[in-house]
Amino acid sequence: MNGAVATRPIDRAAVEEFLFREARLLDDGRFEDWLALFDEDGLYWIPGLPGQTDRFGAASIVHEDRTVLRMRVRRLGHPRAWSLMPLPRTAHMLGGVTVSPAENGAVEAVAALQVALYRAGGRTRYDGRQTMLLRPGFGPGGGDFRIALKRIDLIDCDGVQGVMPVPI
Amino acid sequence: MSRPVSRSGDNSLPPPPGAAEIAALVEPGRVHRRAYTDRAIFDLEMERIFGRAWIFVAHASQIPGPNDLIRTRLGLRDVLATRDADGRVHVVENRCTHRGTTLCSVERANAASLVCPYHAWTFALDGVLRSVPHRKSMPASFDIADPRLALFRAPRVADYRGFIFASLAEDGPSLEDFLGDMTDALDNFIDRAPDGEVFQEGGLFRLEYRGNWKLHHENANDTMHPGFVHESSVNAAREDSRDYAEPVFDEHQAHVQMLSNGFSVREWQSLGLQGLANGHSYMDGFYTRGILSPDRDDPISRSYRDALEAARGREAAAGILAMDRFNNLVWPNLNINAQYQQIRIVQPVAPDRTVVQAMCFRLGGAPEGMFHRAVRFLTNLSSPASMIFADDAEIFEKVQAGLADGSREWLDQSRGIDEAVGNGRVASAGASELPIRGQFRAWLDHMAARELRPGPL
Repeated sequence: MNGAVATRPIDRAAVEEFLFREARLLDDGRFEDWLALFDEDGLYWIPGLPGQTDRFGAASIVHEDRTVLRMRVRRLGHPRAWSLMPLPRTAHMLGGVTVSPAENGAVEAVAALQVALYRAGGRTRYDGRQTMLLRPGFGPGGGDFRIALKRIDLIDCDGVQGVMPVPI
Repeated sequence: MSRPVSRSGDNSLPPPPGAAEIAALVEPGRVHRRAYTDRAIFDLEMERIFGRAWIFVAHASQIPGPNDLIRTRLGLRDVLATRDADGRVHVVENRCTHRGTTLCSVERANAASLVCPYHAWTFALDGVLRSVPHRKSMPASFDIADPRLALFRAPRVADYRGFIFASLAEDGPSLEDFLGDMTDALDNFIDRAPDGEVFQEGGLFRLEYRGNWKLHHENANDTMHPGFVHESSVNAAREDSRDYAEPVFDEHQAHVQMLSNGFSVREWQSLGLQGLANGHSYMDGFYTRGILSPDRDDPISRSYRDALEAARGREAAAGILAMDRFNNLVWPNLNINAQYQQIRIVQPVAPDRTVVQAMCFRLGGAPEGMFHRAVRFLTNLSSPASMIFADDAEIFEKVQAGLADGSREWLDQSRGIDEAVGNGRVASAGASELPIRGQFRAWLDHMAARELRPGPL
């Protein structure tokens, strides 16, 4: 029993509020604001294999840190990004949220995720589980949390896929 | 008004288009929309191209041991590439001969025999029927050795240094004759491995787009499109100035891959483009920066080069690494990118629907970092969320949508037609649509089954 670090009780409501706001930013197309939620070393990861543990030894649908994500976000605003015309619209649904303490005062929040996506030519739905690793933030400006990891395990990650045009 | 139904009760489909009708769809500088939209043409393509030509089905490393099998496709046929206990490779239909049930529902397996889930008819990996349950209830005429009860098997399966192709034609040119000079690309792919072996690893993607299968190969060696189609990702990279010496998690690969599509028209024009016999073609490489450039000199590349030199000698290794190409297209369904250990397989689904399988390889004997780069390359260029492929797929769908209503009859493919001369291997400046014309020459050879007048591509 070392007990050196007193763990702060997890404010479940604050975690859920953060998850819903993060999803809302994507649904509202506020991608710059969404990017700002990521910590300096934050990762956005959608594995290409079920239960993937190796980020480098197997291809991922998305595997990006801020240096790549900021290019992705910049492209989303380009007037001639053909797969984004018109900009797809999404609706996120998060449910069954569980929160648990992680290392260094971070919080792991796991949720079932459904994203309905409408784009020219049809609708798509993404289903899976979202795992967020959240670090305490710095109050209102920086938000309550910073994203260390946003991981989405799609149930059909290794199945036939159409183009995923926007972050989900 | 409905069509009269014939008395024999067979279907009332019109006869398939004749050779003259098909040949009229392709002119030197243009092709008719029906080649992309017409179901009868598509059905003939499945019969005469995917049912006759050498079709890439699998890599040997995907079925390395006895009783390994992988599910793949031959045109619209769901097939299994199997390796039997003696190491021989077979390509058999994944359908029970009893009730038509799909035999294998997983992508890969290891099994000594194929057992149907419905009534346990059991087949050997070469397709021969081995046993059926309750044999005594079968009629006297039931002969388990009857070839009609065996799984349909591709009559010809051949392997070029581990790349496995199948043909549904009993005879025809050998695989090597069909590949012609494209064996250079396969040789280079394999020779880049210090151990002389490559392994398909790192997962794969199955990308679906709502467009004709031919659009993918036509786009792959079209060097005029990147500056327009990929402008958004080029721009995102340009606005993100980088110091490639700065360590980042992906070694700046995404940046290089996006930025490189931003060549000027003059730069694309200066790239080499080669059209070969049988519809094959290749283009020069165009990644000139960072860890993807041919003259890269970083620790991983150096240790890889050392390993290759140790295995082959300095001079031979330099020759292997000097082959700077991007897409090597084996018509009709394989795209080889040897330099970056990638392949794509084009699988037609319907006239307006295609699945592309994209995968990467490990070079045997190369440092782990080289494999990680190939994995990263695959994610960047060929994942469903790729910032590059997304715009290609969008364009394929726009072409297909634009052709659907029939108001636009002809597609132009004349760019560069006055530059090239001759048959077989013809070089052209990078801006030419020569590869597309070569693909349609091969298409006509198969579809109209006639000797075409030689003419410029």
